[in-house]
Amino acid sequence: MTITMPSVSLMPYLPEIILLVTALLVLLVDTVWGDKRWLVWLAFLGTLVSGVAVWWLAQGPTLQLQDMLTADAYALFIDMVVLIVAAISLLLAYDWLIEHNEQQGEYVALLLFATVGMMTMGAAINVVTIFVALEILSLSLYILTGFARERLTSGEAALKYFLLGAFASAFFLYGAALLYGSSGHLDLIGIGQNLGTGGLMAGAGVALLLVGFSFKVALAPFHMWTPDVYQGAPTSVSAFMSVGAKAAGFAAFLRFFQVALAGSYAQWGPALAALAVLTMTWGNLAALRQESLKRLLAYSSIAHAGYALVGLAAGNSLGSSGLLFYLLAYAFMNLGAFGVAIMLEKPGSGDVMMSSLRGTSRQHPLLAATMAVFMFSLAGVPPLAGFFGKLYVFGAAVEANMAWLAIVGVINSALSAYYYLRVTVLMYMRDEEAGEEEVAVSKPPVLVFALVVALFFVVIVGLWPSVWMQMAQQAALIFG
Amino acid sequence: MIPLSWYLIVAALLFVIGFYGALSRRNAIAILMSIELMLNAVNINFLAFWRYLTPEDMAGQVFAIIAITVAAAEAAVGLALVIAIYRSRDTVSVDEVDLLKG
Amino acid sequence: MVMRVVFVVVSLFTLVMAFMVVSHPTLFSSALYLVATFLGVAGLYVLLEADFLAVVQVMIYVGAVSILIIFAIMLSRGMMGKRTSSHNRQAKWVALASLLLAILLLYFITVLMRWPAVQAGPVPAGAIQMLGQDLVGRYVVPFEVASVLLLVALVGAIVLAREREI
Repeated sequence: MTITMPSVSLMPYLPEIILLVTALLVLLVDTVWGDKRWLVWLAFLGTLVSGVAVWWLAQGPTLQLQDMLTADAYALFIDMVVLIVAAISLLLAYDWLIEHNEQQGEYVALLLFATVGMMTMGAAINVVTIFVALEILSLSLYILTGFARERLTSGEAALKYFLLGAFASAFFLYGAALLYGSSGHLDLIGIGQNLGTGGLMAGAGVALLLVGFSFKVALAPFHMWTPDVYQGAPTSVSAFMSVGAKAAGFAAFLRFFQVALAGSYAQWGPALAALAVLTMTWGNLAALRQESLKRLLAYSSIAHAGYALVGLAAGNSLGSSGLLFYLLAYAFMNLGAFGVAIMLEKPGSGDVMMSSLRGTSRQHPLLAATMAVFMFSLAGVPPLAGFFGKLYVFGAAVEANMAWLAIVGVINSALSAYYYLRVTVLMYMRDEEAGEEEVAVSKPPVLVFALVVALFFVVIVGLWPSVWMQMAQQAALIFG
Repeated sequence: MIPLSWYLIVAALLFVIGFYGALSRRNAIAILMSIELMLNAVNINFLAFWRYLTPEDMAGQVFAIIAITVAAAEAAVGLALVIAIYRSRDTVSVDEVDLLKG
Repeated sequence: MVMRVVFVVVSLFTLVMAFMVVSHPTLFSSALYLVATFLGVAGLYVLLEADFLAVVQVMIYVGAVSILIIFAIMLSRGMMGKRTSSHNRQAKWVALASLLLAILLLYFITVLMRWPAVQAGPVPAGAIQMLGQDLVGRYVVPFEVASVLLLVALVGAIVLAREREI
């Protein structure tokens, strides 16, 4: 019997392959090289080279790998966001890795593997590929969550994340099976063409897929794991997954809804809108009464998933491009906020209490100002990046005749301003009770550099949003 | 010939049994076993759809193989996690692993 | 007719074993019932004429995953004989929710769905060859990407289970 090997060109997968090779190199170098600092820089270099590959692919015609992966403008935009997230996360982790960890090589490699999973999710045009990519991403994150082995909470967070994640995967798979049963196809275009108006089985399939998806990007009411996991995980990992996993999850599902389910918007649009309202309200209300900065950021990230979902629920092209813009803006401001948390956390505790923020501004005025910018951006104060993100997705809701959704979003933003401002006020509060106690802050240069980069982009994206919005619009064009 | 819906019913029941176990057991390993039941249930679905709807197209079987691969990888990581926690805590009961509260 | 009887027997066996997995208080017994469930599912695959998948099921689930689980149970051996309650306090409510979910799914499958009167066509001769061709042909991408997943699992399991070197 002869086996005909297909002639496939792996070119569309080039950015991911570069990262994979880098990850393998890191694992190899780790075994022979004594100085672990270079591992992080090697990985950083890998993300840069991969970014160049993304740029190069963007110049040529759209490439596609069978009916599995594509390197269209949309996938490349997601690649860009995810690579930025990975690069900054590596810098955020640098000092913690060098000082507190003995498994730097594995950490860096797993972070790169997770990045590959995220990029693949953005590029996947087949439910099989989406599923495998999602699992690469999830498995890597479960392991990274458990990396702070000096703290018991880290392992506990990893176990919770793993059990709920695997549970969610089962729902996702069940949904995929029902979709396969009702359309006979697994590629998104094939599903879209054969689903017709939907039918009950397809509806149930989509609902189950949505449950799995909601677990992964932390939409209410499937968000229970988020605060525990973000609090227990090493802070650099919380930063990485709060933005990276969200970007990848939303990327895959925006494509799924827009390509495979474009014909049945009337059914899923209102459902997603309801989910968005529930998510942002729940996230914001819970964030109001948090005493741990990491838990606060976790609930804030749930609320932001709700805002981003507004763009998906709007279902129009402004919604799609607005969602993409939102993912980019959110990446910078949330990475920045977590970066400040890394600086403020006491060695070994892995968390920052709100009360210990008091009086930070007197001893570290620049740090407090930086945090204030990130908080304002998260709250949506103009002219920072977060403001335009919200403007675009809420505008899309109005355009889709869902003005009520935009109003709920604005009310929620006002609600969220309360706890973001609380962080800022605490930092600037004149501290009379605590006396002259020194606020312990470590300012390693690499971490400072990462924060400066994040701060720079929060301001730049806010001042010149049109440049980035044009890229997002280009990317959203593929949905026609 | 057995009707397609019979397979789907068995799969649904198996899924629900796994669902019950995953939410009601206290031991992490028991929860993992329940999740394996759910994944098995889904694979029955895939193969039933393949057999009855598209026997010439192997997509359903391929997805089932991928799902088995994923389940095996998940089991490996999950059990490693359980063992790591057991070493530091002396328990793998989810109720007792509760330092994180907020 | 014979097929239907065989199907009912295999299905009942699978479901009863699965129920024992989730209800038996001793972890080790649960694991043994799990092996039986996996075998039952393999039986269903045989009935579906997915021979290759049946073999894979026996090799991976019965062979590998079960052994892994039993290893884990033995390594966390404090659990084996312990007789504290095996189910959490919400078990009753979860049971109720599961019952509702089951009724919903059954209603959905048996009443709501109009199944096309499917007469399953014959499985093409050489289905296993086709499967092999597809895995390195049409589905080569997920097949390759799955290898990344296995690598992640490999690295991760080592990282997690390694004793700390301090």
